[in-house]
Amino acid sequence: MRFGRSIYVIATSVVACSMFTGILAEVRNSGTEEGWCFAGYAQRMPVALVCWVVVAVGVILLGWYWLRLTRAITSIARLVKDGEANAAGKGRGFFASLRMTKIDELCEAFDKHFEDCSVRIAEYEKQIKDLQIQIQLSLRRGKNAEAIIYSIRDAVIVFDEYDRLLMANEAAGRLFKFDFSSSQHRTLSELLAADQSELAGFISHCRTSQGQATRREIELLEDGDRKIFDCIVSCVYDQSRQVCGVVAVLHDITRERQIQQMKNDFVSQVSHELKTPLASITAYSEMLVDGEANDEKTRKEFYSVIQNQAGRLSRLIEDILNTSRIESGLIKVNKEPVSLTMLIEEQLQMIKGCAEEKNIEVIRQKPIVFDQVYVDKDIMSQVIINLLSNAVKYTRSGGTVKVSTEVDEVASLARLIVTDTGVGIPEDEVEHVFDKFYRVGANNKQAKGTGLGLNLVKQMVETVHDGRVFVTSKVGLGSTFGFELPLARRQSVGTV
Amino acid sequence: MADKRVLIVDDEIHIIHVVAIKLRNNGYEVISADNGAEAFDLAMRDKPNIIVTDYQMPVMTGLELVEKLRQHEETKEIPVIMLTARSFAIPQEQQEKLQISGCLSKPFSPKELLGNIEDILYEKELVADN
Repeated sequence: MRFGRSIYVIATSVVACSMFTGILAEVRNSGTEEGWCFAGYAQRMPVALVCWVVVAVGVILLGWYWLRLTRAITSIARLVKDGEANAAGKGRGFFASLRMTKIDELCEAFDKHFEDCSVRIAEYEKQIKDLQIQIQLSLRRGKNAEAIIYSIRDAVIVFDEYDRLLMANEAAGRLFKFDFSSSQHRTLSELLAADQSELAGFISHCRTSQGQATRREIELLEDGDRKIFDCIVSCVYDQSRQVCGVVAVLHDITRERQIQQMKNDFVSQVSHELKTPLASITAYSEMLVDGEANDEKTRKEFYSVIQNQAGRLSRLIEDILNTSRIESGLIKVNKEPVSLTMLIEEQLQMIKGCAEEKNIEVIRQKPIVFDQVYVDKDIMSQVIINLLSNAVKYTRSGGTVKVSTEVDEVASLARLIVTDTGVGIPEDEVEHVFDKFYRVGANNKQAKGTGLGLNLVKQMVETVHDGRVFVTSKVGLGSTFGFELPLARRQSVGTV
Repeated sequence: MADKRVLIVDDEIHIIHVVAIKLRNNGYEVISADNGAEAFDLAMRDKPNIIVTDYQMPVMTGLELVEKLRQHEETKEIPVIMLTARSFAIPQEQQEKLQISGCLSKPFSPKELLGNIEDILYEKELVADN
């Protein structure tokens, strides 16, 4: 580069001197016959020629230098204008190729500047890419969070520090009857109805008190039904630990409360039912121990009561356990094709004695030939004996109990029907007779029961065997109880 | 005591029977009913000195019986002992409001019931004398 620069300097000097010499020689020779510059004419021609050649070369060199200079300046200007610091790479090589003394330093300065720019620009581009990636990640996280919130079954609502709605999922929209897209930024008081003021007050209180997550049970109306919600309200804090919003999550616990209440009621009822025979056993035992039974007849009576009540207690416990097993699906079921007629005949033998004692006529109508059902024999026997014993229990002396079976080929069903001429059931109590521990009040004088017998019948027929129980009754005339079950398939019967 | 008539109300016949034997063995006169409605009619007619009633009964519960007794001049002063097999006791405020003199949980001791009856009637007699 320096050598090139020197050549340019020398060439420029030679050109300038030659031009000066040539002009001088011409000027001198134009005034005399013989020039004084170079001895003679013969010597003057080569000198002029040399001078002009040198001038021409000089002009060409100058022109070439000028072109390169302008080209370099133009490129520099373009590079600076376009900001192509990457072109520093090009610029470096480009400027290096110029090899022109005067602009070497400028080239080096530009080179370095563009190199620095390109490094900084590369860094900025990297930072921009990183920031763009972060923005994309944040947006995606935000979308994921929104998707999660929208898919939650619990109602979720988010308010800002001025109680304006920021976010709400679909469950919240259904509960509070608003559309989020048209309700955003509406205030708490505008969104919640007058009968939801307790919730509004709870949310506002949590925000102003800036406390930790707070929980409360709140009752709200949803589609006309009163429901209980477990409401958790949490404050949202910004980076300077100031409250910038509130999140409320409402979890519907209505069903849980109902189940809890049913459990409590069941325990209470069971406790009552168990204590009743136990009270008799305790009282009579104490009387015997204290010698209050004055004679043998009284003592025997006491022993008999204790024994009966102990049996009642035992049956009650068994019924409760069976009910519990069926409801929890733990009961062992061994189904097989069984003739309904055969089962009925067996159970009729069991109640025959009781019926005869009460002078009740048991009428067995003509059995059906094919009434095979796919059932657990022991469970179905229990069902039939419950229905038959109830019929005998609630029929006065001299009455009748009719037992019949039907087969519905079209619906593929077999039916057992037990009709008595007993006390009957009041119309408003018929629908409750299959409820747990339900006993018809008016019939308590006629007979005692655990209150679980018919409930067990219903569960055993419907839950265990996919059948259906039914009842009709008229006070003073009697009742008809029955059930229907799917027929067993003929091929199954054939293989037994 | 001069007046020792007890009305026993329970839908369990065995309970009525064993309590009646205990009380009769100790000189009490016993009348009985198996539901609240029948018991109210007997109370109005026979004016027992004390009523022992079960809590849970068909037709009319023991609590409903007491409420009705307190609404009538002839029966509002009759002391009542409540027998209950429910897992919860009757709240104290309710006992005071309905002037229920005592509560016994089933299974109960006939001896203990007799003791409660004697205490209540003795107190009532003291109050009447003063």
